[in-house]
Amino acid sequence: MKKEYIMPFVESTQNVFHEFFGITPELDTPYFVKKEETLNWDVSGIIGIAGESKGVIVLSFNEKVAVSLVSKLVGRKVTTLDEDVIDTIAEVTNIIAGNSKKGFEEYRLKISLPSIIKGKEHVVFWPKQDIPILSIPFTVPEGKFMLFVGLEKKITNDILL
Amino acid sequence: MGAVNRIIKILIVDDSRIMQNILKNSFDEKEAWGKTEFLTASDGEEALKVMDEHLIDILLLDWNMPKLDGLSVLKKLRQSDKYRQLPIIMITSEAAKYNVIEALKSGVSDYIIKPASRKILIDKIKGFILGT
Repeated sequence: MKKEYIMPFVESTQNVFHEFFGITPELDTPYFVKKEETLNWDVSGIIGIAGESKGVIVLSFNEKVAVSLVSKLVGRKVTTLDEDVIDTIAEVTNIIAGNSKKGFEEYRLKISLPSIIKGKEHVVFWPKQDIPILSIPFTVPEGKFMLFVGLEKKITNDILL
Repeated sequence: MGAVNRIIKILIVDDSRIMQNILKNSFDEKEAWGKTEFLTASDGEEALKVMDEHLIDILLLDWNMPKLDGLSVLKKLRQSDKYRQLPIIMITSEAAKYNVIEALKSGVSDYIIKPASRKILIDKIKGFILGT
């Protein structure tokens, strides 16, 4: 797997976590998703990608990690997936997507507004089309979270082959 | 450092309330330029309504927002004589060069890529208020 494909996403994630939560998430080994994973998430931020490649970016957390991170940002003890958690994850997903675009200038990518999916232990299902889904796992002191990047083969082939 | 003898009105336009608060909390009156009043709006349409009712000194403008996006607000304001000189700082996640160029061509005064560092934000705003 070529570094050029992954690094824009990794650097954007580490940078926004540093500014918002004062921590730099540690990168674990990225891999392509083979089928639906049984890792269960409680809240996910989703951004659609358009332009000369299409796809989606999804940032997923379990409740424990999400509430501890947002507690740091807002300076009060957050205990549930409340409005502040939803708002923060939407903004963090937006910043990761927007910042990552600079690694793919020639594709003139456009990003959508963020959407949030909240649901106890939800599983993310991916389109059956030919979109390779890259899972980028990170670890923070509070636990693990995942950035999923699915972009059309056009861009993944250009960069990976 | 100089100070100004009137209240500086800053309009923060961002669809994220968390981001509005982060930007507001970046300011510390003791080290800044004097008294500041913050106004907020969550989308471009609301921003234009606020500006109809208040004379603002500086506009901090997000790009990706519902209803009317920041670039459209920028273009609209620059067509009006009243707002041709208004300092408009775009604060956005959009980091691609072609986005920055588009905003500059549309008349933005400055461009900050989120997550905005506090120091950069304050230095730029100081520059517009104090003319430094």
